[in-house]
Amino acid sequence: MAENQPLAPASEGALDMDQVEYTLRKRLPRKLPKRKNDIYVNMKTDFKAQLARCQKMLDSGCFSEICIHGLGLAINRAINIALQLQGGSFGALQIAANTSTVELVDDLELDEGEPLTRTRNNSAIHIKVFHTLPK
Amino acid sequence: MSGVNRKEKKYAKLMRNQPSNFTFSSADPGAGRSGMGPSEPQTDNPNYSCFTSHQGVNGDHGQQQQVGSSHQPSSYGDRQRGSHRGGFRGQRGSSRGSYRSYSQEIPKIITATNFAQARAAEINAMLKAVTHKSGSQFLQSLPPAMRRRAMSHNLKRLPRRLREIAKKEVEKIAQLKKEQSKSKSRKARRRHGNLLMEFNRRQRKNIWLETHIWHAKRFHMVKKWGYCLGTKPTTKSYRACYRAMSKQCLLQDLSYYCCLELNGTEDNLLKTLTCLSSREAGTTFASVACLSGKCQGSLVLYKADQYPEKPLGPVTFLWRPKTLSENRQLWIWAHPALKMDLLTELQLVCQCLDVPVPEPAPSECRTVTRTPVKQAKVIGSKRKLHDKAGEQVVPEKKIIGNGTRDPLETVIWTSLTTGIVIEDLTMEILRYRLIGPLSHCVMFEAIQAAGILKVSLLLEMAFCEDERFTVASKNSEGREETGLHSWWSEYCESPENVTLHNRQEGVLLLLPGIASPAEISAGTVLGLTVGDPRLNMPKNRTTAMPDPTQPKDLEKIRELCLNGVGAECAQSQIWDRNIRNIVTETKITEQELNGMRSKLLVPGTRLDLGPQESKIPILLVQQPGKMAGQEHTGWGSGWDILIPKGWGMAFWIPLIYRGARAGGLQEGAKHTQYKGLPHFPDDFPDCPAGMQHSEETEKELIAKYKKYPPAKRPNYIHHGTMTPFRCPWQRLVEDWETQNQDGGIKPTMSDQEQGLRSELQASNREAVGVHEKGAFEEISSEEKPPNLEEKMEEESESMTTLEQNTGCKNIHNPSNRDCSSKSGHVSILRNRKLLKQVSAWCRPTSSRGQQTRQYRGSAPVQMTADTVKSVICSYPRFLVWVRLSLLKKGSPVANATICIPSKEDLQRLASEPNCSGPQEPKHRDPFKQECKALRKSQKKRTLPQDSETAAGDLERKSASSFGKVLIRGLWPTQPLNVMSHCSRLTIGYVSQGDFSLTVGCGEAWGFVSLLGLLRMVLSQPAERRGLALVRSPASLQYRFAKINIEV
Repeated sequence: MAENQPLAPASEGALDMDQVEYTLRKRLPRKLPKRKNDIYVNMKTDFKAQLARCQKMLDSGCFSEICIHGLGLAINRAINIALQLQGGSFGALQIAANTSTVELVDDLELDEGEPLTRTRNNSAIHIKVFHTLPK
Repeated sequence: MSGVNRKEKKYAKLMRNQPSNFTFSSADPGAGRSGMGPSEPQTDNPNYSCFTSHQGVNGDHGQQQQVGSSHQPSSYGDRQRGSHRGGFRGQRGSSRGSYRSYSQEIPKIITATNFAQARAAEINAMLKAVTHKSGSQFLQSLPPAMRRRAMSHNLKRLPRRLREIAKKEVEKIAQLKKEQSKSKSRKARRRHGNLLMEFNRRQRKNIWLETHIWHAKRFHMVKKWGYCLGTKPTTKSYRACYRAMSKQCLLQDLSYYCCLELNGTEDNLLKTLTCLSSREAGTTFASVACLSGKCQGSLVLYKADQYPEKPLGPVTFLWRPKTLSENRQLWIWAHPALKMDLLTELQLVCQCLDVPVPEPAPSECRTVTRTPVKQAKVIGSKRKLHDKAGEQVVPEKKIIGNGTRDPLETVIWTSLTTGIVIEDLTMEILRYRLIGPLSHCVMFEAIQAAGILKVSLLLEMAFCEDERFTVASKNSEGREETGLHSWWSEYCESPENVTLHNRQEGVLLLLPGIASPAEISAGTVLGLTVGDPRLNMPKNRTTAMPDPTQPKDLEKIRELCLNGVGAECAQSQIWDRNIRNIVTETKITEQELNGMRSKLLVPGTRLDLGPQESKIPILLVQQPGKMAGQEHTGWGSGWDILIPKGWGMAFWIPLIYRGARAGGLQEGAKHTQYKGLPHFPDDFPDCPAGMQHSEETEKELIAKYKKYPPAKRPNYIHHGTMTPFRCPWQRLVEDWETQNQDGGIKPTMSDQEQGLRSELQASNREAVGVHEKGAFEEISSEEKPPNLEEKMEEESESMTTLEQNTGCKNIHNPSNRDCSSKSGHVSILRNRKLLKQVSAWCRPTSSRGQQTRQYRGSAPVQMTADTVKSVICSYPRFLVWVRLSLLKKGSPVANATICIPSKEDLQRLASEPNCSGPQEPKHRDPFKQECKALRKSQKKRTLPQDSETAAGDLERKSASSFGKVLIRGLWPTQPLNVMSHCSRLTIGYVSQGDFSLTVGCGEAWGFVSLLGLLRMVLSQPAERRGLALVRSPASLQYRFAKINIEV
């Protein structure tokens, strides 16, 4: 979930920044405290592995529901995983999705002068996958 | 036979005292035996044997008879002699042979004087042996039949005539034993005072960190840079430490880093320090954010005005936020290997006198710091130490800080012209590093901000001071009346300070709401005053975890992440030397603390010291994690804690008890590696400390290599590795430079040419064989044509116009040229602008990194032959720090070569993606014959003279021709032509390589020649740019790797 932030459009934001040269460094998105049934999806790990991980979690019986989170580019993948889980369960699983906006911080390192920070927003999705009849 | 054995032993003992000229000569017995037939068995002839002994030829017989009983049957003597012969002359047959051969040479005449002289020596020896009895010989002077076992115990059992001698002997032995048994019993040695004395003795040579004993129990310790440091835990914990770094929290004691304090007006400081660094390389001392004291900066220092030629090494620096006084304080933290270079350079720049102005303050301060616990010791110790004279022995003081330094040695240098004061704060301030996302939680739980304390409150407390504070208050005798922590109460008097403290505390309380230190801006500094961390320790080791249920002020956290901590919050009293000293002195010892704990009403509850609790000013400095590159940003971020000395263990244990795992030097190196940064001193081959380090490691590795038999170690000559134990940067750069001169900058010579060249070399080697030396000379003379430098200069001058066009400015062009004309220097490219440009060129066009331009404003310079040429001309001898990630298998090791793949290699990779890479053909060992000859000659040392001289000649020849001792499997000469030694052109070397746990494949970090890199990139198709080959020194297999330059 950390690496999957999509690249901000270049023209966005400060026009005056174009005048000076700077280095853009993206900070990590804010990490939220993680429960055991939270799954953060990223674009680096193999899709199959992530799907299997979710499936295993559901099958283990420890959790009646799991939460799949995706940020930016990984939204697609999060949805995909949730749908695959639902499709493979023969109606035993249901999904409920929520969307949100996450604020991301960028550092602009100028060659001279004080470094700047700027914020930009990115969308995120949180999908709850749960058993229709809790075990 | 036992009797005979004993005799033999006795004989051997006696022979010890023989003069050197008196030997068991082989000619003499023959001379005495001339009359008899040599084949006659000797045992049959007792009389004759007696005769030989009487001749005095065998002095041993004479002695034997004197020492032993005076009357011996002749047969006994004969048996003796037989045994002697067995013992000293080897087999009987051989001795008989010698009789035969020498029987002819009987001297006709014996000169009386000569003969008598020779015998006189023997007699002397005999007398000496008889009169001088060593050891317990008084017993042995008795005949065996008269000896009794108990005699050695009770002297009165000896015959009276021997008693006097025996008494003396016994006394002597007793004295010897007394002298020897200096070591006390274990119990005595472990007694506190003695143990402390022993510890203090041991830390006079190498500095011990305050956590030394803790580390020594758990770590492999090494002595390095004048310190005793733990390298790695003794437990198997390589992966566990990695997991701690990336998911939990790893704690490292970095107190061995040296801190230098510069004190002066801001203008003066900045003016003097600008010449040590350059804007081109990134941060300088004058960077705005750093100058306010808000964040810590890091940079590479150079010798004054020598950028980019002579770097000293990397440092981090910290400005004290502005105070009321005009002077600013600057701390420069440097590695101990670099400290002396840095200090001399700073003194030079600041024009500080070599002979310091005598200042009373520092010496006084030092005496105070040297005796911090003295008073407490005297009061606390029940056992009064008295020596024999009855005087009280001054109890040994625990060394806090630098134990190796001479107390009279100066640590402060003042400049009269600029008014800058340099102070060496080595070991005055401790530095602990917490790495990992949980470092927030660990820190938050271990550290609690101190409570506000006012003088009025304190006075009130003084009245109702109850019994448990008596010990502590006794300590404060001689200090001010207000009590132990007067500085803190004074500090709290001012309402501004109180509000500042509250703000700092507020920031600390926000920290657990932030999941990872990487979310805060890089290098944030937070000053704090905290209470004694020993007081709220958990009973067992726990793991600090973030508590999701805790309410959080999200708005404030967001504010903190965005804007960071204000500059005024970075203020801390730790900058003040006096307060540091007070804090160190007034530390309540562990013993006292435990004493107070034992008096608690309910055992096990928290000890509340109220106003007597120590207040410690500290600094928290955020360490940014991985900054460079696109992947794994923020990995390995954490916090540094700066603590005044003396408080080391008081902070260490609470941190450990919160679930931090301790790491050593090895973990520190891995941490910098995974962050993609060069590690000091290994990866700074252009710094003096780095050069020294590489020399040392080479020596070590060669010694280790030589320990193995030739069959059990790799033959590096066969593998085509000229320097398996170091990286010949200078040769590499020079080779590329000459290559550049010869071949121009046109894209690489065609592969056939390359192949031809290598073939030619190989054939050269084969044909020349032993006469390799000549060939080498030819090559070397070819390599350095006298007009080379001139040619280059011309070229670079013609390039200046081009440079301006391309926007690649090179301010230091003249200095560059100067340097490159000087032989023997390598520089590392640290110009950020150029690095960014090169980095963009090395990326394949299709990759994500190319799409996001790192900077806008000036359009990135397109890679054309012209632009490349201009870069090459202005930076001919530069190395670039690169990270290589392997595409498929393999994990390269240090000193592996980085090569340019040929066109066929790239085609093959495109056609079959699973191919592992090309193979290097096995090289021929031209030194094999010589090695063999040398070994043979060494074996034949004992042979007759003529062959020996021949061997010696050979050896001398080989030594002179190669200047180095031949070691089988190692290239004996200084490497020549390292660039084109193998079938692929070498562009660089790996300085560290390993299987990277962050990426999950082999990764290597090293330097490549800028010329070679650009040439490689130019020749490669756009979609496959930046592909290189890596080959470990003991392998023939090349592996494909991707070159990344991360800025």
